[in-house]
Amino acid sequence: MDYFVNVTLTGLTQGMIYSAFALALVLIWRSTRIVNFAQGSMAAATTFIALALIQAGQSYWVALIVALLSGFLLGAVVERVIIRPVEGGPELNAVIVTLGLFVAIQALIAIVFGSSFQSFPTPFGVRGFEVGGSTIPLTPTSLYVIGSVLITMALLVALFRFTRIGLAMRASAFSQEVARLLGVKVGGMLTLGWGLAAVVGSLSGLLIAGGGFVYPAYMDSLIVFGFVAAIIGGLDSPVGAIVGGLILGLALSYVNGYVERGSALVSVAALVILIVVLLVRPGGLFSSTTARRA
Amino acid sequence: MTAIAAATVASTLAACGGGDDGGGSSSAEGGENEASDTGVTADSIKLGAHYPLTGVAAPGYSEIPTGVKAYFDCLNQEGGVYGRDIEFIFKDDAYNPSQTSQVTNELVLEEEIFAMMSGLGTPTHSAVVDFLNDEGVPDLFVSSGSLMWGDDPETYPMSFGWQTDYESEGKIIGEYIANEFPDAKVGLFLQDDDFGEDGESGIRQYIDDQIVAAERYTPGNTNVGPQIAALKAAGADFVVGFNVPSYTALSQLTALQLGYDPQWFYSNVGSDPNLVGGLLNRFSEGKVTDAALLDGALTTGYLPTVDMTDNPWITEFSRIWDECGGEGELTNYRVYGMSQAYTMTQALQAAGQNPTREGLVEAVEAVGSEWEGPVFAPFRYSEDSHMGTSGMTIERVVGNGSEEVQPVRITDIGDAEIEEFGGEAATPPANAIPDEEAYEG
Repeated sequence: MDYFVNVTLTGLTQGMIYSAFALALVLIWRSTRIVNFAQGSMAAATTFIALALIQAGQSYWVALIVALLSGFLLGAVVERVIIRPVEGGPELNAVIVTLGLFVAIQALIAIVFGSSFQSFPTPFGVRGFEVGGSTIPLTPTSLYVIGSVLITMALLVALFRFTRIGLAMRASAFSQEVARLLGVKVGGMLTLGWGLAAVVGSLSGLLIAGGGFVYPAYMDSLIVFGFVAAIIGGLDSPVGAIVGGLILGLALSYVNGYVERGSALVSVAALVILIVVLLVRPGGLFSSTTARRA
Repeated sequence: MTAIAAATVASTLAACGGGDDGGGSSSAEGGENEASDTGVTADSIKLGAHYPLTGVAAPGYSEIPTGVKAYFDCLNQEGGVYGRDIEFIFKDDAYNPSQTSQVTNELVLEEEIFAMMSGLGTPTHSAVVDFLNDEGVPDLFVSSGSLMWGDDPETYPMSFGWQTDYESEGKIIGEYIANEFPDAKVGLFLQDDDFGEDGESGIRQYIDDQIVAAERYTPGNTNVGPQIAALKAAGADFVVGFNVPSYTALSQLTALQLGYDPQWFYSNVGSDPNLVGGLLNRFSEGKVTDAALLDGALTTGYLPTVDMTDNPWITEFSRIWDECGGEGELTNYRVYGMSQAYTMTQALQAAGQNPTREGLVEAVEAVGSEWEGPVFAPFRYSEDSHMGTSGMTIERVVGNGSEEVQPVRITDIGDAEIEEFGGEAATPPANAIPDEEAYEG
């Protein structure tokens, strides 16, 4: 029983981390309708900026704020300088450009910050809470992760549902021409969408890194799992991203914990889950109505 | 002058016969240096290697080539081997076997190295061992304790192990636990490849009935929560890890989350207290109350470590690092690299003035078991075995150093007995440069 609780809690925490990353993907999809493969290395870049600040003696919170701001800047610059020229062409072009960015940014991180494996601090403890005399793998740090992800999700839902900017962003992403006719500054909205998505991405990068280890490619496996989580959730829904992340985190933890040599099967299991979900619900679990999927 | 006098002797004969001063004395014996094989010129020998310089296995291991290089740089200043400079080329494979294949291809086909030395990692080097043997490239002193480099010279005639193999290590650990912790419930934390398997088979020879759980992790999957939770659930109060250093840090961190505190025993490769402490110390700023997480853990040793400041090898290696090394301090990984470079120098000297790939392999088989050096116990090299050293101490981590709890014991693979090692520790020759005679065949 203890073991089950341990494996479950590990899976939930891990799932929350996938969710955080999936949220960033959902955000960029909703606001620009492209899938950003560079999200992971963009997040890694801002995490390394934060680490450099912390090593220079700044507090975690200062580093966090600087990382989020530089994330926004990075996202906006990438959209303006690199994505803008290929926007309007075939959708695949922009996606392939992000794939190239993914590799390029990762290489830049290694050049600027070095490629060594380093620990990343967390503002909260990494010891599990004691419940009834036994320690469970739920730490103050995991609560911090869970809390931050849920708050971010709530903010995103509010942004898209209740604000004019959110509406304008959705409109620009959905149909640029119509939006433009209705007086929406489409260019600005796309830049804003990329900036905000990169902020969420940066946050996920920092949450994933906290109390663990980072190196330029540390986001690689999370990129895959984050994508799977986002697709399970429908790629369009912040709530879906959270649920997708949790489902994936739990499932992978059970595979890791209960299947013989499960540690090696985790990536395979992620693929199987993805295929099953797509077979049963091709649009993902939380997909919006078919009419909206242009 | 001696060179002119001796030059009257036929050069090939002189090269074979004049081995009484093999080391840094260039072509004093008389013969001329020739480009005797691929990667060898009159004034240089090219060696190659692959290491994880980036990625999850890079901590620690990426320092090994800096040690190798520092040793060779200092050796070159003293005249190299038979007047030849050693050129050491190493490439990053990120501990990814497909990248190992790629960089090994580059080393063999583009760089045209004379021999591979110190290629690191069991899964990585497995990917290239067939290629190296098919191409006839000597594959010396693989940085891995897997049995496959040494237990079957017929299949892999060019490959040689160097460090104590994981099975022998497992046996020595198993015997120690059986004697000193007969009531312990032992859990195993294993890398899911030959590394973990060899270690497990060795340890099970002695304490099969004490083992309550064997958990495996896959390198690259950094979530070891379920494995550590399973060890805890099985009631293991003594955990033996056959894992790489970053997974020592991960297992410690995860155990902390779970409030799990068994007696830890990390096999040699995963136990460097400086490295693991360095990885974990950022969590200790108010978050992990116990800064020295590894304090009290047990481990094994087959080489002197940097904390043994009065060991003459460490003194010499410190001098070499100061004179020829790069940034940073001498670490145990750099000592490891220097020690391998020392053995490599012995091999090149034994291969004679104009070495060939085959001659190098023959020389290691014939005289390698007689070489003395920083390694505690002798190598097992012969025509029938390409296994490296066989002896290990058992040590307890104390702060950033360690104290010996059991002196060197030696064994071999299979059901060979474990015996006390009667030999004495070797002292380094001048400048820590060996002086082996050329093997005449």
